[in-house]
Amino acid sequence: MMASMNRLPAPYGLLLDRNESITFSFENKSYQGYAGDTIASALAANDQWLLSRSFKYHRPRGVLTMAGQDANTLVQLPADPNVLADREPIVPELAVTGQNYSGSLNRDRSAWIERFAKFMPVGFYYRAFFRPKGIWEKWVRIIRQKAGLGVIDQNYKPVYFDKQYLFYDVVVVGGGPAGMVAALQAADSGAEVLLVDENPVLGGSLNYARFDAQGQRAGVLRAKMIADVEASDRVDIKLNALCNGWYTDNWLPIIQARRLYKVRAGEVILCVGALEQQAVFHNNDLPGIMMSSATQRLIHLYGVRPGKTAVILSGNNNAYGVALDLMDAGVDVKLIVELRKNPQYDDIARSAIARNIAVKTGHAVYAAIPGPDKKHISRVDVRKIISEGTCAAQGEIIECDLLCMSVGYTPAYQLPCQAGGQLGYDDETSSFTLTNLPDSCRLAGSVRGVQPESETDSMNFPWPIFPHPDGKEFVDFDEDLQIADIVHAVHDGYEHVQLVKRYSTCGMGPSQGRHSALPTARLVAKATNKTIAETGVTTARPPFAAERLAHSAGRSFYPSRRSNMHYRHLEAGAQMLQAGAWYRPAYYGPIGSKAEAIRGEVRNVRNNVGLVDVSTLGGIEVRGADAAEFLQRIYTFNFTKQPVGRARYALLTNEAGVVIDDGVACRFHQHHYYVTTTTGGADRVYQNMLKWNVQWCLDVDVANVSSAWCGVNIAGPYARHVLEKLCRDVDLGAEAFPYMGVREGTVAGIPARLIRVGFVGELGYEIHVPQHFGEALWDELMKAGSDQKIMPFGVEAQRVLRLEKGHIIIGQDTDAMSNPLEVQMSWAIARKKPFFVGGRIIAELEKAQIKRTLVGFVVNDRQAPIPLENHLVLDAEHMVGRVTSCEYSPTLDKPVGLAYAPLGNAGAGSQIIIKSTGGVRVTADIVDLPFYDPDNRRQEL
Amino acid sequence: MTTTTPTHHLRRSQLYRWHVNALARFEEAAGSAVVTEYAGADNEVNQATRLALVDLSTLPRVGFKGPGAPDWLDQQGAQLPDSPNQAVRQQDDSLIARLSDYELLILADLNLNSTLPAILQDRWSLASANKTYSVPRSDSHCWFALTGADAAMALSKVCGVDLRTHKFADQTIAQTSLARVNAIILRNDLAKTPCFFLLSDVSSAQYLWHAILDAMVEFHGRSVGIAALRALEAKPQ
Amino acid sequence: MKILNCPLNGPRNIAEFSYGGELHRMPDPSKCESREWVEHVFFNENKAGIVTEWWYHNASSYWFLAERNTVTDEIIRTFPASDVFKERVDFSKETGEAQE
Repeated sequence: MMASMNRLPAPYGLLLDRNESITFSFENKSYQGYAGDTIASALAANDQWLLSRSFKYHRPRGVLTMAGQDANTLVQLPADPNVLADREPIVPELAVTGQNYSGSLNRDRSAWIERFAKFMPVGFYYRAFFRPKGIWEKWVRIIRQKAGLGVIDQNYKPVYFDKQYLFYDVVVVGGGPAGMVAALQAADSGAEVLLVDENPVLGGSLNYARFDAQGQRAGVLRAKMIADVEASDRVDIKLNALCNGWYTDNWLPIIQARRLYKVRAGEVILCVGALEQQAVFHNNDLPGIMMSSATQRLIHLYGVRPGKTAVILSGNNNAYGVALDLMDAGVDVKLIVELRKNPQYDDIARSAIARNIAVKTGHAVYAAIPGPDKKHISRVDVRKIISEGTCAAQGEIIECDLLCMSVGYTPAYQLPCQAGGQLGYDDETSSFTLTNLPDSCRLAGSVRGVQPESETDSMNFPWPIFPHPDGKEFVDFDEDLQIADIVHAVHDGYEHVQLVKRYSTCGMGPSQGRHSALPTARLVAKATNKTIAETGVTTARPPFAAERLAHSAGRSFYPSRRSNMHYRHLEAGAQMLQAGAWYRPAYYGPIGSKAEAIRGEVRNVRNNVGLVDVSTLGGIEVRGADAAEFLQRIYTFNFTKQPVGRARYALLTNEAGVVIDDGVACRFHQHHYYVTTTTGGADRVYQNMLKWNVQWCLDVDVANVSSAWCGVNIAGPYARHVLEKLCRDVDLGAEAFPYMGVREGTVAGIPARLIRVGFVGELGYEIHVPQHFGEALWDELMKAGSDQKIMPFGVEAQRVLRLEKGHIIIGQDTDAMSNPLEVQMSWAIARKKPFFVGGRIIAELEKAQIKRTLVGFVVNDRQAPIPLENHLVLDAEHMVGRVTSCEYSPTLDKPVGLAYAPLGNAGAGSQIIIKSTGGVRVTADIVDLPFYDPDNRRQEL
Repeated sequence: MTTTTPTHHLRRSQLYRWHVNALARFEEAAGSAVVTEYAGADNEVNQATRLALVDLSTLPRVGFKGPGAPDWLDQQGAQLPDSPNQAVRQQDDSLIARLSDYELLILADLNLNSTLPAILQDRWSLASANKTYSVPRSDSHCWFALTGADAAMALSKVCGVDLRTHKFADQTIAQTSLARVNAIILRNDLAKTPCFFLLSDVSSAQYLWHAILDAMVEFHGRSVGIAALRALEAKPQ
Repeated sequence: MKILNCPLNGPRNIAEFSYGGELHRMPDPSKCESREWVEHVFFNENKAGIVTEWWYHNASSYWFLAERNTVTDEIIRTFPASDVFKERVDFSKETGEAQE
């Protein structure tokens, strides 16, 4: 194999496995790299520096940080857009393309946009496209096409992502020297420690930076520290793992491969390091211009020579270590452009200078100049600094294909600030501080500010910003924002750095201001005559880096609940619906036959006998000497005089007098009620009862037994006949066990509670049995009822049946404002009780006139479209109410429904106008409820 | 041991179809069927030392709550844990778990030798047991056992409480959320093998069974029968 | 995720709990003015500072009280509701007085 042209020999390339070469493609051209290479490093080894086109102007972009901290390296994989090329490892046959271009990455037809840049200042979108009305709709398609990043694979096959909870005494984020020392010290004190690093190896800056003139020290330290950490059985190490935020009480989302770890730490030590910053000058975004740390990463981690001829822009002594690294790697270092006028050198700098590197102090790179293909740096214009940010009129042109920027660092303040830390800046020394963190979250290493080891200059050059008449001095690479954009935003009146961000979009791109925050703060400070400390930086909320939605969505838990009879419904051909977490049979039959199925089930209940699973109803045991008193306070009705063996309707209102639930209260003993609730209301009602009970200290126990009981309602003229075959220990006679009676006995040998209810308007019994007997009960009843043509019926038929009988469903026929008076339930209110929840407000409401009432209506016009739930009731064109339920009634052979109507035309014989499907006005006749069997003869059989 | 089929009994676990499809062999347990073992599975005991899930939902258990419950149980000869979220093994091998000051849960032993659950159930009545109220734990909750060295790690995929064995002692209880359903987690080691009893809403049994099996995949866990648990309990591994 | 220390179950992720609103002592429904009652039902003090709140541990069906600083979101302490509610509350028909 031909060696890639920029590849350095071993031992360069700490991460490479040179025994395994990998072939992949970029922009349909085949390349070779080694295992351990990222896409960007393998391409750089092959002298392919152009990686992407910028978001707005489609300018060529290449390696900037080589650490996954910038948006320059975003590329497209077949199934994934916006992949960081300087993080993503190459694998055999990986097909990588650029994104955000028209035509090809090399010849982007959209690059013309840049020439119109001066016509697109910040705020351009807000100002340009909103007039005349409707024009945005036309522009938006064009803009979206031009501005989108990457392509989503619409044929993506979901893969398995999951989550895990982990617990540690101490979590150390960042596996550099500070992190390793912190982890070892914590482990020595007896703590269980997790050490997290986003890189494939521990070591941090020891892996690539130069800590002494000879370049020996880092390697020795690194080997020792890693060996110690790996030897400690109290330290767990997670590599390629990103701690993507800090949440309250040291709750850390750590992403590794396809898993999101939710880690709870007793203490967190953030050793997240510092981020090197760019200088701002004309064409500072050209490929070939990169952070000095990026060149060191290329050389040491990936064995890539970052260029042939280099210029280094220096604002601190690190630049000289970089110069040594470059020279050692065979790069011709033409010049160090030293921003400092009187630099104080350290040992490394002195030893670099001793190797005869040319240094121009007090100079700046005023502009970078691309080569003829416009895609790479070829020269720099070096000029003397006259005053802060201003250069001499003339400069010297120097040829180079690499410009390293070593002008300063910001601490990686994102996680510390999420933990409550405050970022401070000292305008005198150009250095940062992080303070105010909680005691359980500490900092170590360069996140506390990069400090020179000896008495030398600050690592941050205070003003590496040089405006140019032609602009293109990029502050924010993600959003193509230049110096003038930031200054204009301030001049447009957005003086606060948070407003500048929102107006200009500065810092809102994929790199989230990691490199734009500092120059923006400097520019805003200057434009507003404030200090940088006063100006500050914008908030950096989690996540730190872009994360896949799959990590949040993966292996989510959606609990589902099934009654013990569940499979009997499926076997009977039921279409299931979900009511909350519950599966319930909607109707029995093929999907296409819904209407006929429901009609058939309704008729069978009216004419023969039907069976419906009511296991989803809530059940609450209320027991103790104060059981009746407790219900008296909770529900609207009167319960103290309720005889044992009887059930009573139980209507629940909240403190505001709004109807929130209903059921029946069955008195099985002087001190024992069994209260049912709606399917969705069980937990809430139970919770409410417990809360009241805690406050009242009554002699009563409240127990939620909803799941413990499985139930059916057997209903229809033959219900008693069928039940008699299975139940011999309860007298089922109409007088012995009347309507609203309750009994305990056995059904087919299964212990059961029997409740004579009339929800569907026929003779019927709810039979509640312990959950695990549910399926057997179902089988026995179906078998016993076969001669009487028993058929199961589903939720849909039950809704029709109860509607015919005029029974409301809480939550469907009531809303967040419905009081008992409006839903015609004054009869369910016991006014003489000293207290019930909601009673005081209902008493107030009774003094005033209610404004609406729930009425029953029928639609006699056979041509009219059947109204649906939430269709409006109109008075002329004004909405005066709404339909809450409406179904075709097989029994009455016409649509019947419930609707809120204004009190004025709510009496029987009145009419209401409903705006039905397609806007058709349907006239409905108001009738007295119920629609079916007003004398209750059927249910009291 | 009498072999049986689940549908031979009126009382059936929500999961019996799953067990049948997985070629379970069943035995009778208190008027119902429990999985003895699955046909074709090699060495379930060994599996249970590593990671295994067992459905014990049909085994007897009973609960009592109310301010008089501790005294009443004490009068019946039961030994109660001193504080909530602790469990105590009884002389007849049943287990009493204290869920709060005034709420107790009594679980039968795996060999069904214990008599206490049935005795308590028989003796209790609303009238006779002062301020003591029975709760139908046999039917309100499903009952699973998750056993083996990797059990705590598998649970860490579905539970936000630290259940690692050096942090969560034997015979302690966590009432918490398991794959987003409420659950009682009771650590009850079988000799030296870590074992967690999981009791959760019975209507969520199928959901939870599959959620836990899913969490077990990466540890090569699978379901086993009650025979493996008994073997572990009898013979320290 | 925040940790809440349940008096029954110890420190747990706050997702295990439901918020139950501010602690209000209910005025005597038979004696108080409508205005006072309506304020009790519909108004929260919404204080910036330390408030007492109801919290409910879902898995154990346990209500308790917490003192929380609404400015810093610091939970100062949690305690059983029985520390506050010690005696039976009665609503007497004759006098209309809530007897405590």
